[in-house]
Parts: sequence; structure tokens; C-alpha cells
Amino acid sequence: MNYKENKQVLLTLFITMIMMVTTIFTFGQTTINPDTVCVNAIAEQYFVTNTPTSTYQWTITGGGGALQTGQGSNSITVDWGGVSGLYPNAVEIIESNANGCPGNPVLLDVYVLDLSGNPVGPFCPGDPTTPLVGSPAGGTWSGTGVVANTFQPSSAGVGNYVLTYSMAGCNTTINVVVNNGPVTGPIQHY
Amino acid sequence: MKRLLTILLLVLSFTSYSQCVSNQSSTIVPAGPYTSGQVVTVNYTLGTFTQLNVNWIIAFQINLGAGWTNLTPVIAPGNPGGSGGYWLWDLQNTYPSGLNFGPGWRFVNTGFNPDWGTASTGPFTMSFQVTVAQTCTADNLSISMNVFGDCLTGGWNNGACCTDPAYQIYNGNVQVVTPITSSINHY
Repeated sequence: MNYKENKQVLLTLFITMIMMVTTIFTFGQTTINPDTVCVNAIAEQYFVTNTPTSTYQWTITGGGGALQTGQGSNSITVDWGGVSGLYPNAVEIIESNANGCPGNPVLLDVYVLDLSGNPVGPFCPGDPTTPLVGSPAGGTWSGTGVVANTFQPSSAGVGNYVLTYSMAGCNTTINVVVNNGPVTGPIQHY
Repeated sequence: MKRLLTILLLVLSFTSYSQCVSNQSSTIVPAGPYTSGQVVTVNYTLGTFTQLNVNWIIAFQINLGAGWTNLTPVIAPGNPGGSGGYWLWDLQNTYPSGLNFGPGWRFVNTGFNPDWGTASTGPFTMSFQVTVAQTCTADNLSISMNVFGDCLTGGWNNGACCTDPAYQIYNGNVQVVTPITSSINHY
């Protein structure tokens, strides 16, 4: 590749970077469809890029969702219900310009996520490593004695522990107990 | 054969242009296409009105598509060498012939008969403004001008009337602008 070709490649890369940065600053972030929220989440904020002369009509459907604030603006808050599941087109917005002409509806599916963790224990310090199971699968366990989504009583030691199962910003916990083992005295000879 | 065709074409040409209106021109500012709320100014000139069978010019009717609103006169036609009277801006008038006129300018003859037009043969220059209505559909924005002789309106009866087609000033539709909404984001 000669000097001229190198220059062309560098220029293309530079323009691409500028476009990426511009996009990031323009839209801030991009939410993957479906969006995921936790059961009973409150004050979840949804927004679109604002056009000052436009008005915005939001509709929340399913998931026990209720629009709390911001109707008419480009940003709202929503409280979600306690029933997990996928709710297609749960969030809808129709933007109207200054002439009152509506644009095409923009929709967002919402998955209301309810995490649970299977109880384990109680353990003794010498018990073997036990897998930790969360539902739905795919999350991450954390806490004292947790190693790679398993609980190691020997690592934790005696005590009461709260282990956390996390996924997509949602958490649930279980309590685990590691009890003292019996203390056996020396063998006596009558 | 060629000579016969030439004569035939001349006869057809004479028939086609045997009406009363000629040398029409117009300007429209700003130029289209248009969006809701835009105000445009239309200038129209009729160069010559030929008084076929002593038809006198009596009215200029402005024909607007459904996408226009707020029609406002700016400059009324002149009356060079014409009869006593004046051009009246009128939104609607039913002539003795039953012709439903309007909106536009119509000549009120104050000398002989109010239903006669004016003896002027032009030129007539006029101007008006009109606004694109608020709409979310691509409504019709056509503008045309009809020129009527007093034979059509029932003021004069002396043989064939002037039956000129409407002069097309503008053809188009409202350019509807709808918002393009970004995707929904969740903090």
C-alpha cells in the first residue's frame, strides 16, 4: 500500500470515528429490544431524542405498567407490575410535529424479569461444593463462599450468608447457613 | 395535399384560439413546493381580452385547491380605457345566468347595466396572497384563473360566448412533513 492509499485509509477511519462519536452523543444510548425491567420496578425512565417543537403521546400496555410522569414530553417514567413475562409493544410513542402531524409509532417490547434462587444448605464446613441455581438461568451468583456460581462451605466458613443472584440489573437473594461441626473429644480408654 | 393540411391546421388553430383571452402570464412567490403555513403571493396578468361578439370582460375567478386557505386580495385589476365602474373583490356571487362566481374580482358597471362588464381589453394585472392550510395530508394546491365575459354571466346575449379554459398558475400538493422519532431508550 503506497502513501496515497494509506492516507485514504486513515481518512476513512477518521470519518468513521467522527460519525460514531456523533451518533453516541446524539442518541446517548441504544436500548436493545426487548428491554428488560425487574418486577415491581418503579420510576423506570424511557426517552426518545427530543425535538422541541414536537409533542409526544406515550402508551404503556401490559406488564402491569403504569405511566407516572412526563406524558406529552420526550421522557417518561413508568412503574412496572409484579407479573413476569415478555410484553410485546409494551411501550409506544407517537410524535407529532408543530403542525400536529403524527409520525410513525415507535414501539418497544418489555420483558418483566422476576428472579428466584433455589435454597441450599444448611451446610457443615466440610461439605462439598454445591451448585447454585437461579431462575431464569444465565445470571450470576455472588457473595461469601461463592466461586463460579457454586457455594463452597469450606471457603465461607461457619456463619450466616446472604448470596445474591443477578441478571440484567435485577437481583434476588437467598440465605445460607454453615453450621459448626460437632467437636469430638479424644478417644478414651477405660 | 400539404397545402390542404396547412389550411386544415390553420382552421383548427383559429378555432382553438378563437376565444377571448390571450397573453396570460403569472408569477408565484416563493416558488413551490409548499408546506403548511406558507404564504404565497400570486401575480397574474391578462394581456388582452378580445371582445368576441361584443362580449365584455366581467370577472376574474380564482380557483384554489383544497389545500389553500386565507385568500387575500393585494392588487385589484386595472380598467384601462374601460367602462365606468370598478372591480369588486367578492367571495361569491350568483349571476343572472345562474353562474356561481367566486372568489375573485368582478366588475360592477355603474354606467349602463351592472351585469355588463367593462369595455376594456386590457392589460389587466392583479395580485393576491394565499396560505397553505394546516394539514397532515398532501392536499391539492392547484391555482388557476377563469376569465368570464358578460355573455356567460347573463348580462349580454349576442351569439357565442367566450369560453376560455382556466389558466393554470400552479399545480402541486402540500409537502407533508412528519416527524421521524428515534428509537425508545431506557436509562
